[in-house]
Amino acid sequence: MSSIRALTTELAARSDAALRELLSARPDLMAPPVPDFAALAARACGRASTSRALDGLSLPQLQVLEAVHLSTNEDQGLSASAVTLAPLLAGSTPTVLVGLLEGLSSLALLYPHPQSPPLPACGQSASHPAGAHPGNEHTGFLPVSSVRDVLGLHPAGLGRSFQVLARTQPAIGVRLQHTARTLRAAGYPLDDVEDPAAAAASLQSWLDRPDTLPALLRTAPPTTAEVLAKFSTGAMGSVPRAGRLVSPTSPTLTPVEWLLAHGLLVPLDDDHVELPYNVGLALRNGALIQDFAVEPPRADLPMTRESLRINAALGSIAELLRLLTELLALVQHQPVTTLRTGGVGVREIRRLSEGLRIDAQQVVLLLELAALARLLTLNVDTSRWEDTAAGWLASSREDQWLWLVAAWLRSDRAPSLAGVPGGRRAESSGTVGATGTPGMAGAVGAGPENGPGINALAAEAQRPDAPLLRRLTLAVMAELHGESVDSSSGGGEREPGRVPVLPPEAILARFRWRHPRLARRLHRLLPGFLHEAELLGLTGSGSLTRLGSAVAANNADQALALLRESLPQPLRTILLQADLTAVAPGYLHPELARELQLLADPEGQGPATIYRFSSATIRRALDEGRQAGGILAFLRSSSSTEVPQPLQYLIEDTARRYGQVRVGRAGAYLHSEDETALQELLSLPALASLRLLQLAPTVLISQASAVEVADALRSLGLAPALDAAGTGPDVVRIAADDPAAPTLELAGMVPDTVDVDAQLHVLRTRSGVPQPGGAEVAPQLGLELLAKAIRLKTPVRLSLVDAGGNAEQLVLVPLSVGGGRVRVFDPVRETERVISIHRVADVELAGDDGSSPPSSSATPSSPARITPAQNGNA
Amino acid sequence: MTDGPLIVQSDKTILLEVDHPQATEARHAIAAFAELERAPEHMHSYRLTPLGLWNARAAGLDAEQVLDTLLQYSRFPVPHALLIDVEETMSRYGRLRLEKDPIHGLVMRTDDYPVLEEVMHAKKIEPLLGPRIDASTVVVHSSSRGALKQLLLKIGWPAEDLAGYVDGAPHPIQLKTDDWHLRPYQQLAVENFWAGGSGVVVLPCGAGKTLVGAAAMATSQTTTLILVTNTVSARQWKDELLRRTSLTDAEVGEYSGAVKEVRPVTIATYQMLTMKRGGLFPHLELLDANDWGLIVYDEVHLLPAPVFRMTADLQARRRLGLTATLVREDGREGEVFSLIGPKRYDAPWKDIEAQGYIAPADCVEVRVDLPRDERMAYAMADDGDKYRLCATSETKTGVVEQLVRAHAGEQLLVIGQYIDQLDEIAERLDAPVIKGETSVKERQRLFDAFRRGEVSTLVVSKVANFSIDLPEASVAIQVSGSFGSRQEEAQRLGRLLRPKSDGRSARFYTLVARDTLDQDFAAKRQRFLAEQGYAYRILDAKDIAAAS
Repeated sequence: MSSIRALTTELAARSDAALRELLSARPDLMAPPVPDFAALAARACGRASTSRALDGLSLPQLQVLEAVHLSTNEDQGLSASAVTLAPLLAGSTPTVLVGLLEGLSSLALLYPHPQSPPLPACGQSASHPAGAHPGNEHTGFLPVSSVRDVLGLHPAGLGRSFQVLARTQPAIGVRLQHTARTLRAAGYPLDDVEDPAAAAASLQSWLDRPDTLPALLRTAPPTTAEVLAKFSTGAMGSVPRAGRLVSPTSPTLTPVEWLLAHGLLVPLDDDHVELPYNVGLALRNGALIQDFAVEPPRADLPMTRESLRINAALGSIAELLRLLTELLALVQHQPVTTLRTGGVGVREIRRLSEGLRIDAQQVVLLLELAALARLLTLNVDTSRWEDTAAGWLASSREDQWLWLVAAWLRSDRAPSLAGVPGGRRAESSGTVGATGTPGMAGAVGAGPENGPGINALAAEAQRPDAPLLRRLTLAVMAELHGESVDSSSGGGEREPGRVPVLPPEAILARFRWRHPRLARRLHRLLPGFLHEAELLGLTGSGSLTRLGSAVAANNADQALALLRESLPQPLRTILLQADLTAVAPGYLHPELARELQLLADPEGQGPATIYRFSSATIRRALDEGRQAGGILAFLRSSSSTEVPQPLQYLIEDTARRYGQVRVGRAGAYLHSEDETALQELLSLPALASLRLLQLAPTVLISQASAVEVADALRSLGLAPALDAAGTGPDVVRIAADDPAAPTLELAGMVPDTVDVDAQLHVLRTRSGVPQPGGAEVAPQLGLELLAKAIRLKTPVRLSLVDAGGNAEQLVLVPLSVGGGRVRVFDPVRETERVISIHRVADVELAGDDGSSPPSSSATPSSPARITPAQNGNA
Repeated sequence: MTDGPLIVQSDKTILLEVDHPQATEARHAIAAFAELERAPEHMHSYRLTPLGLWNARAAGLDAEQVLDTLLQYSRFPVPHALLIDVEETMSRYGRLRLEKDPIHGLVMRTDDYPVLEEVMHAKKIEPLLGPRIDASTVVVHSSSRGALKQLLLKIGWPAEDLAGYVDGAPHPIQLKTDDWHLRPYQQLAVENFWAGGSGVVVLPCGAGKTLVGAAAMATSQTTTLILVTNTVSARQWKDELLRRTSLTDAEVGEYSGAVKEVRPVTIATYQMLTMKRGGLFPHLELLDANDWGLIVYDEVHLLPAPVFRMTADLQARRRLGLTATLVREDGREGEVFSLIGPKRYDAPWKDIEAQGYIAPADCVEVRVDLPRDERMAYAMADDGDKYRLCATSETKTGVVEQLVRAHAGEQLLVIGQYIDQLDEIAERLDAPVIKGETSVKERQRLFDAFRRGEVSTLVVSKVANFSIDLPEASVAIQVSGSFGSRQEEAQRLGRLLRPKSDGRSARFYTLVARDTLDQDFAAKRQRFLAEQGYAYRILDAKDIAAAS
C-alpha cells in the first residue's frame, strides 16, 4: 500500500487535537488549504514538505528517522518498531524510542504499518495525550515515501551497499570485480565471479561474516584505524588518485591503499572513495547510530553581569533608533543613488558616513536595516532609494523598535553580508567582564565572512531561508538561556546579577543538535545574526535580554512594555551654554530636534547631542524664513536655562548683517523714472495676475515672464520696452508619496489558530464524502508508483501526451526519477529515453510483481488515480 | 536606569551635568581616568583616551572600577563598544614591566608570553634589547630605557617602569614653613608623585606649582636640576626657593644665557639645553654635571622636542613634571607619558577655585565699531594686512583709556601684539611699556615696581606671556592678540588668576573690532574661554563710554 494511501486513512482517524498539532508543526500542509485528507496526505508525502519537516527535526529525531529508513522496506512489508530499533541505536531504550517514533508519526513522517500489532488499551493512556498514535514498543512504522529522497545518498552517514554501488556506475562494478578477483587470488575465501553484480554480492557476503573484518583489520597497516575513523560521520572521502590499482599482497601499502586493495573503500572516481554500507556498519559494531542521546549536550556558558546586559541592550537600541532617524533625515534631503551594477556605491556610503559621523560599515548595516523595514524604498524610475517612512517619526520609540524587529525577523535579506568594498568589517560585539571567555571578543567579532564584496542594498545579500534561521536561532538561544538560568538557580549557588553569555560556538553546537539539517546554512549567517540581534537589543553583552526572550516567545506586548519602562521619555528642554552650544541631555523630542538641527550643527555621537551654533547655522535658519526674535523666543521657551548673552549676540549680530543684500527671484522687472506711473500700475486690478511687487520707488518686479508682462502692459495701451528676455522657472518634480505601513506584529512560524480551525473544518466536512483524487494527489501517487517501480525494477504503463496533444500508452521500465524528469528504458526499442513528468498523464504498474504487500496486491495494476478512499475500503 | 549626572557618548566623550546633585561626586570619580576637555557652565565634557586610561592604571585603578564608575553615574546606557574598548585598553598597561634584575640589570618582564613575542619582533625595538633570559624575560640595554618606553607606548603596549631610580647625591633641603603651609592639595600632589616614582602633576595656573616642586625637593633631599621655560621664570624659581626653603643663595645656581653656575640645585632653561652649536649641544653635559637625584620640568606642555630626546637618557633619575595642562599643541602627550611619567595628580580646576585658592576670572569682550574711514581701509586692504588694520584700530585706544579710568586704583595690564599700538597706548596712559627690546634688568625692575604697587599700569607685549608672576594684576585688557592659540589664552589668563588678597574676581577685557577678522578670532577665543569655564560677556564700547 502506498504511503499516501496509508497516511490518508491514518490522518482521517486522528483526533482534532492531533491534527491541530500536525498543522501547527507543518504549516505548509495547509498553505494553500487542502480539500480533503487525501490531498493532505499527498502534500505531507511531497518532497518539498518532507524536506521542510526534516529541517525542523532534532538530532535524535533525525537519527531515529534514518534508522527507520535504513531498517524498513515498504515493498517487503518490513517495518521498524521501538524494539527492533533499539539495538540499532546504541544508547537508546525502547521506551525512549516509542516516544520519538510517535513524535515522528504525529508529524506524518512515519506511519504505522497497517499490519503491525494492534494497539493495547493502555496505549491510550494519559502518558501520550498529544500523540496521534499512542503505540507500544512493537508498533511497526514505515517512513513516508519521500523521506528516502530527502535523506539523500548517505543516511546516518553510512555508505551504499556493494550492490548499489556496482549498479550506480559500470566502472565501479568493474572495479569491484577486479578487487574480488585479486582478493581471491590473494587467498581470501571469495567466490569466483563472472559479472560485477556477483562480485558485489560476493564481497558483501564475505564481509558480512562476523569474523572477517576484525581478522582483516589485525593485518592492516598501523594507522588504518585513524583513517577509518574519519569516515565515522560521512561515508564519502576525498583521496588523491583513488582509482589506482593496488594489490593486497604488496608489502608496502599505505592505509588507504590497503583499504582500497581489500575492498573496504570503493573508489567512486579518481578523487573520491566511499566506505560501503556493510563496512561502515561493521565498524559501528552493527549499530546504525553510535552515539544516540535524547538530551542535548550540556552547554557550559560563561557569565556576564546583568547590569552590563541591560546597559548594552538599551544603549544599542537608543543608538540605533537615533541613527536611523538621522539617516532618514539625510536621505530625505538627498536620496541614495544606486550603482548600475546594483547596490549603493562607496561614494554614497562615504557621504552618509560623514553625515552620520559613523564608519562606513555601520552605514551599510543601517541602510540595510532601513531598507528591510521599508523606511527606504527603491524608486525604480530614478534608481534611487528614497525615504518613505511616513509613520516613523510619529511613532514612539518602542513602536519604532518593534517595527524594526518585526521587519528584521521577516526579512529574507542578511544585512550583515553587505559590506564596504575594500572596507573593514563591522566592529565586533564582545563581552565585558564575562568570566572565562578570554577569546570571546575575537570569536564573535569574526563578523560576516564576506563583509566586503556585496554592496549595500545589492540583491546578492538575499537569503530566502534567513527568516526561518533567525527564528530558530532565537529559539535555540532562548532555550540555552533558559537552561542556564534554571540550572544555576536550582543549584542554589547562583551568583546574583549574573546572566549567561551565549557564545556563537555554543549556539551553533545546540543548533546542530536541535536542527542538524539546517546548521550548515546557519554557520555563515550566524555572526551577522548575532551582530544584528545585538544592535536591536535582543542580546546585550552576549546574553539574551528579556526583550530577546519576549521576541523569541513572540510576545510583542511584553517586549513593548519592557521597553516602555526602560526608555526615558523624550526631553522637551535643552541646556544653552555660553560656548554657543545647546546640549540635549538625552533623547530629544523629534519636533524640537528638527528645529535645533536647523539652527545649529549637531556634534558628537551618543545618547546626548551637542548642537553648535555658528553664524553659518543661524544664517541657514534665516534663509528658511526664521527671524532673530523667533529664534530667541524658541530658544527661551525650550531652554531650561537663560539664553547666554554671547548666543543672543550671535543671533542678533547675524540677523543684523543678514539681508543687507537681498536676493530673490523675479520673472521680470519694470523700471521707470516716473514713480507715479509705477504706482498706477501697482493699483491696476487688471495687472493683479502679474503679482507686481515694489522694490524701490522706480522698480517693480513681477513673477510673470518679461514677455507676459509686456503683453499685459500693451493690452492696456502702454508701450513698454523689453530689456532682455526672461527665463522660465525650474520645473520641480515632486515624487509621489509611498508611505511604508509599519507592521507592528511579531509574525511567528506557527500559523494562526483561526486558519487551523478553518482547515480542520474543511477536512472534517469533506472526509465523509471522499472526492476522487484531486489534482494534488495524482502526481504524488504517480511519482510514488514510479519510485516503487524503480526500486522493484518492474515495467509500468505510462500514458504520455506529446507536444501535439496526442496521447499514447507505452510500457517502459523506469530507471530514475528526479528534477521533473523520469529516465526510462524502452524494452521494445531497447533504448533509454528521458520523459518530462508533466507529459505523463497516468502511471500504472504493468504487471503484478508479487512482492507488493498484500494490501496493495488487491489492486496490483490499479491506475494511480484510484482514490485513496476506495482503496481504503477495499 | 539611574538618574546620574553623566552621559557617556559613543564618541568617547563623557558629559557631566554640573548642576546635578551628584555632580561633584561623579567629577571626582571620573577625573582619575578621563581628561576634562571643555567646561562650559552647564555641561562639562571629558574625554576618554588611551593615555588617560593608562594614567588611571598607573594610579592603581583597574578596568572594573572604571566600568563601575561609568555605569553607576551614567544616566543612559553606556555604549557597549566603549566599555569593551576601555577594558581592552586598560588591560594593555603593565603587561610589560621594566624591572631591575640582580644578575642581569635592567630587564623587561611579562606574564603574557605572546605580548613579549610581539614586542620583540617589532623592528625598531629589537636593537634596544639584549639577550633573552627566559620565556618571559629579556635584557634591556640600560641606555635604551627611555627609548624603549617611547616605542612601546607607540605600539600600544605601555610598559610599567618598576626599575627604580639612582639615589643621586644627597643634599639637605627643608621647607621653611614658619609663615605659610603647603595647601592640602599640594601636599597630596607631592605624596602621589613620590609614591609613583616619576610623573606629572597637573595644577591650574596660580595654584602654586613652584611649591609642589620645592616640596618634592624637600622630600627627595638630593641635588636637583630644574628646567624652566625662560630666564625670568628661572629667577622666580630661585626667589621662591630661597624664600620657601632652607636653601641659600650659594646653593642655588642659574644656568642661563647670562650666568652658568652649576650648584646643588641648578635652574636651567630649555633654551640653553637645546642650543645647538656646530651640530653639537654644548650645554648638554649639564645633565651629567652632577649626580642629580631629581629633575623638575616646569611647564611640561611646552617641553621642546630635543629635551624629550635628552630625557630619554635620564630614565634612571626621578622626574617631576609640572604643568597646567597635559594638552600639547603638537600632540606629543604620549612622550610626556612615557618619558616623564604618568599623571600623578590632577586637581580639578573648579575644586581649587571653589576652595578659594585661585580667583575666578570674568571675561568681557568689548565690541568697538570701526570708524568709517578705517572700515573703508579695512575693506580695501590685502588679506595679509587686514588683521593688523582692525586690531590696531584707533578707537581701541580710547576704549582702553575709558577702561583704565573705570578701574583706577587696580593693578592693570594692557596686552597687545603690535608694538606701535602699544607704544601709543603707553604714551596716552603715561605707563611704562615692556617689549622684546626691554632688557632683562629693566623688565625685572618694572615688574618689581608693579608688584610693590609703585606702578599700577603696565603695557606689555608678547614677552609677558610666559611664566612671570604678577600677583596683584587684577585687570587685563587685551587690545590685539595673535591668532587664538589655546596655549596663549591659557597663559594670559594665568596672569590674572593669581589669588587676590581681598578675593576680588579678576577681569579680562578683550577689545574686538566689530564685523572684522578680529571678531572671527574673538569667536574662537570666546569658545575656548567658555569651554574653560570662564564667565563670558559681550559689551558694546558705547555702554562703557556711557558708564564712565
